[in-house]
Amino acid sequence: MSTAVDDELWSAIGDPTRRRLIDLLLDEDGTATSLSGHLPVTRQAVAKHLAVLDRAGLVTGTTAGRERRYRVDRAQLARAIAQLTEVGETWDARLDRIKRLAESIQREKDA
Amino acid sequence: MNAQYDTIEREIRINASPEVVFDVVSSPEHLTEWWPDEAQYEAVPGSAGRIGFKEQDGTVDWQQFTVVDARPPRHFSFRWTHLEGETAAPGNSFLVEFDLEPDGAGTVLRMVESGFRERGWDEAKAVAEHAAHVEGWGIFLPRLPVYAEKVGASR
Repeated sequence: MSTAVDDELWSAIGDPTRRRLIDLLLDEDGTATSLSGHLPVTRQAVAKHLAVLDRAGLVTGTTAGRERRYRVDRAQLARAIAQLTEVGETWDARLDRIKRLAESIQREKDA
Repeated sequence: MNAQYDTIEREIRINASPEVVFDVVSSPEHLTEWWPDEAQYEAVPGSAGRIGFKEQDGTVDWQQFTVVDARPPRHFSFRWTHLEGETAAPGNSFLVEFDLEPDGAGTVLRMVESGFRERGWDEAKAVAEHAAHVEGWGIFLPRLPVYAEKVGASR
């Protein structure tokens, strides 16, 4: 029942700066230069983060003049979110067991 | 959209008193009925122990488990999955917090698991994968009626 998982994908999205980049790119496509204007990091640092996101497939870049312009790959982002949802589902199952257990103990006490 | 990456939050209403629910979420005896196969710790703040998941080959996969706070019947929290020999702290473990609120004759139980962002996603993924392997409904659901009978017989 485990799904195929992708280390690169999860590592890519685990970094706060990279998640901020994804947020910005969801609003509009951007380049390392345009994105660095929104972040307290250098253009070079942004370019490195974008490369990590690109390797993980979360963004795709196309060459535009002297720079690469990036956009979010929404399908890949959805996949990353689905993997976290899976962690949530294991908690749903645990909490349901907690509920059943507590209620059966309560019934025995009340009987 | 950031919140959903950082924590898992759940809320559930239970038809049992906060005292009973607290016991179920905190005591090692009950923990093994809804989650791990083995639980070795004391339900008091600072208690460092471990929980174990039986593998198919019969060996036990042990995970470190440290109680952060225990205030019956309102709050129980613990950290888990830090490495053996390390002190549980933000950055090396996941934090699970249970808050219990009386609601009529029942209890509203809130659960928050956090620490995914601090640890990075490799580990969050590993835990998810592990959980998916060892905790299918098929393994745990059949135990519940048996356990309910056991509790009934001893009281």
